[in-house]
Amino acid sequence: MDSFGPMLVATIFLPAVGAVLAAASREHARQSALVTSLFVFAMSVVLVEGFPGGTERFAVFDLPWFEAPGGSLAIRFNVGLDGLSLWLFALSALLTVVAVLVSWEAIVERPGTFYALLLLLETGMLGVFAAGDVILFFIFFEFTLVPLFFLIGYWGSEERRYAAIKFFLFTMAGSVLTFLALIALVLWDHGQGGGRVTFSIAELTDRLAQRPMDRSVQLAVFLGLFAGFAIKVPLVPLHTWLPLAHVQAPTAGSVLLAGVLLKVGTYGFLRFSLPMTPDAVALCMPWLLWLCVAGIVYGALVALAQHDIKRLIAYSSVSHLGFCMLGVFALNRLGIEGGVLQMVNHGLTTGGLFAVVGMIYERFHTRQIDDLGGLARHFPRLATFMIILSLASIGLPGLNGFVGEFLLLLGMFHRAWAEAPAAYAASYRVISVLALSGVVLGAWYMLQLIQRVFFGPYRTPAVHAHDAPKQPLRDLSFRESFALGLLTVFIFWIGLQPRFFLDRMSPTLGKILAPAAQAYAKSHQPGSDLHRLAWRPGLAIACEELALETDCRGPNVLFETDAATDAAGAMLPASYSSSKPVPVAETRGSVHVR
Amino acid sequence: MFSLKVLLLLVPTLPLAATLLTAAFGPGLLRNRSHVPVVLAIALAFLASLGLLVQVHQECSSCASFEHIVTLWTWAVVPSQDQDVEHLARGTNVPGGAKLDVGDSPPLTDKEPASRGPLRKDFRIEIALRADPLSAVMLVTVTFVALLVAVYSVGYMHGDPGYWRFFTYIGLFVFSMTMLVSASNFLLLYVFWEAVGLCSYLLIGFWYHKPEAAAAGKKAFLVNRVGDFGFALAVFLIWTTYGSLDFHDGLAGPGVLGEQRCSSGAFAGGTVGTAICLFLLLGACGKSAQLPLHVWLPDAMEGPTPVSALIHAATMVTAGVYMVVRCAPLFAVSVDAQQTVAVVGGLTALMGAIIAASQFDLKRILAYSTISQLGYMFLGLGAGAAAGNTAGMFHLVTHAFFKGLLFLGAGSVMHAMGGVIDIRRLGGLRRVMPVTCWTFLIGCLALAGVFPLAGFWSKDAILAAVHERAGEPGPASPYATLYWLGLVTAGLTAFYSLRAFFFVFFGPEQIPSEAGGHAHESPRSMTVPLVILAVASLIAGAWLELSGSLASFLASTPSLHALGHSKHAAASGGHLDVAAWSTAAAILGIALAWLMYVRSPNVRRGVVRAMEALGLYRLSAEKFFVDEMYQMLIVWPLEGVARLAAWLDRRVIDGLVDLIGWEPRGLGALLRPLQAGLLPLYALVMLLGMLLLLGTLLVS
Repeated sequence: MDSFGPMLVATIFLPAVGAVLAAASREHARQSALVTSLFVFAMSVVLVEGFPGGTERFAVFDLPWFEAPGGSLAIRFNVGLDGLSLWLFALSALLTVVAVLVSWEAIVERPGTFYALLLLLETGMLGVFAAGDVILFFIFFEFTLVPLFFLIGYWGSEERRYAAIKFFLFTMAGSVLTFLALIALVLWDHGQGGGRVTFSIAELTDRLAQRPMDRSVQLAVFLGLFAGFAIKVPLVPLHTWLPLAHVQAPTAGSVLLAGVLLKVGTYGFLRFSLPMTPDAVALCMPWLLWLCVAGIVYGALVALAQHDIKRLIAYSSVSHLGFCMLGVFALNRLGIEGGVLQMVNHGLTTGGLFAVVGMIYERFHTRQIDDLGGLARHFPRLATFMIILSLASIGLPGLNGFVGEFLLLLGMFHRAWAEAPAAYAASYRVISVLALSGVVLGAWYMLQLIQRVFFGPYRTPAVHAHDAPKQPLRDLSFRESFALGLLTVFIFWIGLQPRFFLDRMSPTLGKILAPAAQAYAKSHQPGSDLHRLAWRPGLAIACEELALETDCRGPNVLFETDAATDAAGAMLPASYSSSKPVPVAETRGSVHVR
Repeated sequence: MFSLKVLLLLVPTLPLAATLLTAAFGPGLLRNRSHVPVVLAIALAFLASLGLLVQVHQECSSCASFEHIVTLWTWAVVPSQDQDVEHLARGTNVPGGAKLDVGDSPPLTDKEPASRGPLRKDFRIEIALRADPLSAVMLVTVTFVALLVAVYSVGYMHGDPGYWRFFTYIGLFVFSMTMLVSASNFLLLYVFWEAVGLCSYLLIGFWYHKPEAAAAGKKAFLVNRVGDFGFALAVFLIWTTYGSLDFHDGLAGPGVLGEQRCSSGAFAGGTVGTAICLFLLLGACGKSAQLPLHVWLPDAMEGPTPVSALIHAATMVTAGVYMVVRCAPLFAVSVDAQQTVAVVGGLTALMGAIIAASQFDLKRILAYSTISQLGYMFLGLGAGAAAGNTAGMFHLVTHAFFKGLLFLGAGSVMHAMGGVIDIRRLGGLRRVMPVTCWTFLIGCLALAGVFPLAGFWSKDAILAAVHERAGEPGPASPYATLYWLGLVTAGLTAFYSLRAFFFVFFGPEQIPSEAGGHAHESPRSMTVPLVILAVASLIAGAWLELSGSLASFLASTPSLHALGHSKHAAASGGHLDVAAWSTAAAILGIALAWLMYVRSPNVRRGVVRAMEALGLYRLSAEKFFVDEMYQMLIVWPLEGVARLAAWLDRRVIDGLVDLIGWEPRGLGALLRPLQAGLLPLYALVMLLGMLLLLGTLLVS
């Protein structure tokens, strides 16, 4: 526990305090929200500044939380930052400032509640990235859903109810499975190592690296984790909640949803799947890569056909997140660093793009591309920011998007050309080239959007004339320029000197990647059974392997079937108790906590 | 006076500083004086480039090949993952990283680079600039034309509401272009490759309220993106093949185009080598508007004319040529790739010339002419490493002069004629604008390749290089055909350029009403650059050829030097037969143009009718229907697929999700009537159940 630890806790919970203030101060809710979020951002900058680099967690704050009598079970309140979470943590703080600023005049109904929810959401997001304990992680993970549910459901546009419920149920369904998988991880570790049941992520990572789970268990656990994280990311075809939720959410909601909450999914993969179920990741990798590249191309194509600006950007998110995950699952250093940097980049640019759409909507009360045209002439500042953000999003060199995309594609090409086993080379090469073509498609839909909305003759919706605005429409105010300018600074910074960001994340990512990279290398050695198995359809093998091992192994039988059929979630503690009586109460306790 | 390093840094930083200054103060403080910092900076950059050229030249005379690398800072480092895996295997924790190495200290993993193989190295990209003969020539050409165009724009853009914006973009372009030609690794080259594309996009769409301009900008960017897709692929393949993206040799090992590799000839051949070259060529085709990616350049004429002169004729579009010359050693190992370059160039040259012969928009004539001349350069590059590359670069330089001149002349005409550019509405302007007329004529003759103007020498060098390849014994090669195609193109070039000249400046005086009755010669700021460029077009070719300095100077570039350029090979004047043929073609073209457009309208009608009968006229006027083909084969199908995907997403995928979501409720709804609270129903069901149970018991 170092001196930054208490500060980290303060940073996480300051927004919650601010939320109370905002709810209480009603009239001045937005001011208090802004002050809070700025303060939180400043503190996160101090934390970034204090980060010493390396693989060690930093700013660790650790307290006992739920201790079973006799010390057999330890759920701890453990927060801390490392190279992976650091930037996502700072990104959340930054985007909350932007979210508050873009809501400034858009939110007139019950602002107190609105800003309180926004700040609660911030606490949730900061907590997810800082959590060092499985249970704490999951609590924050689920907690982010609640404020967002109300933000969409109350302050959203026409179909807000439907969108909110769909969003909530969809992600909830996934996270149930994720929770079971997480518990399975913990219990497996306990079953092997004995002693007390630990929920500490760091400890679990280390112990599972030393003593990996059986491959079949890994597969089951991986699939459970996958259910929740893939929905969050979202990977095609689990993405349909996203366009709906993004379009219906108020601007601030879209900014945070796209900017931060999607990253919780990718973060989950990096924090849990890669280091804890490396063999399963190595086995599933070819299919995961196909899934990612399908998302890249499919998302871009669907975006091309949209008439609603917000929907277009929502689908572009599907495409971009496909890039992030492609980098991660390339399972090499270039890919993973590019992928993580691209997560941050996507947060900055897409968050900014949603903010711009919000600003357009505030002025013209439409999001339809066909209703608008030639805005650049009368709104030069808006157009400038829009062009910068779009260019960043299509990966123009000098801006942030290029760095991430280049690194992760280079990683993928490296995988396909320099490191691919013969059986896979062809498929990997197709994947890399398809992914690269996504960059061309990306330029197409974004430039088409700019051309139609910002260039050409000036055109605004006809209805607007009857609405008779009280004052003439203005270009961006100082507040709006400040919000977008803040993002632009980082867009240029990452683009021009990515080393500042890469160096700080690099060692941690190396550590996270190592088990999976090693597992992959091992599995593709000639003669390895995985190598033999892996080029057959993945899920079939997963099931086959599982069945095979379930038959011939003793005490873990029940446990495995649980993890595999974890849809029947409630069975887990009960059936577990039949083979291992001791931790029943504790397991129930943890469920109760949830 | 200044060291090479300082000069090399000054060239790009001056325009960059001017750009930032103009962007910051243009709208408020500078307004109509926005050109001052930019013009000044480009002038200084030109002087710095000259100084650089002189110094590099001095260095070259003392040694065989010369390069000077300036490393500024490290852009990104990604360590190889192997160290982590190895340490994990040994059961230890990952070391290092505890401290951030911010300075220029070598990376931790470079201790044993040899044993780890080429692909186990750290990914390390440095911002490195280089000075060598090739860059120096490009720098001088770029800044020279840019300076003249910037001065010209002061008059041309005067009074435009976007005045400061224009000069900001121009400054940005000069910065990007000078960085492009002095970059010393593939990543940096790619970065500025796209950056000049961005400037092009912004400047084509400069008058963004015009829908055509906005559409043209988008088209240029997208077509270039397709090219960049190829370039990026090539860069990735270079990384996976060579394990480095640097041109020069560094601490970490030999660079891709460094002296070590060039002298040992360790270049990948075979499929990979050819693939790399072909993808590089795809990138070059995008930027340099070669078949099949040439479609954006004619549309790019929607931008202001000085932009067309600078970016879309003299400098940016030649970036592809520069890139292929830079990568000459890669192409040298693959005969297939080299022949492809030549074929693409030859066909593009011919196609561009055929189209240019029937257009009526003066700027589009010049645009197709640019496409055609760039094709010539590629033909030269494809003709082989020795003479071809030098010839291509030679033509690049002379073309920058005379095509810049022609565009500026066209701009001068537009400026005076109220923006009218249709040559059918203009005529006999030689008396109204004498300076424009005679400088334009010099440009046309230089383009036509008339002795002793610039175009003659460089075109001759290219044709000679092709001719030499055609005469080589060995398996059938395309060079013989390409040589004749080149001669036909030369004749067509002379024809269309003089055709445009006669249309505009000869015949009865015809001034469109848009000119407002006070048609006049353009202001001094516009005519002076015209005259300077005309002088350059007159003498540059002869000077560079007869002194033999350009060829031998370029051959001192490390990558070209290793190809076996002998210092006197390219300077041979012994291709008189080629010169005679090309001169004959040019004279034929000029004579035909004179006959058709000055002497006798009957001949003109006859020729046009004959061409129509052959179907050639339509093909030429409709630009070979390439745009339409793209629309039908790529744009519409893709848009259809996109719409289909969108429909699929909404109806099928999301429909399935909704179905699953509805299932519990649906099931509930199905079962709900059973729990309606009717006791008789419950009793009935109970009875039925008991009967069923009894029945099964009895049966068993």
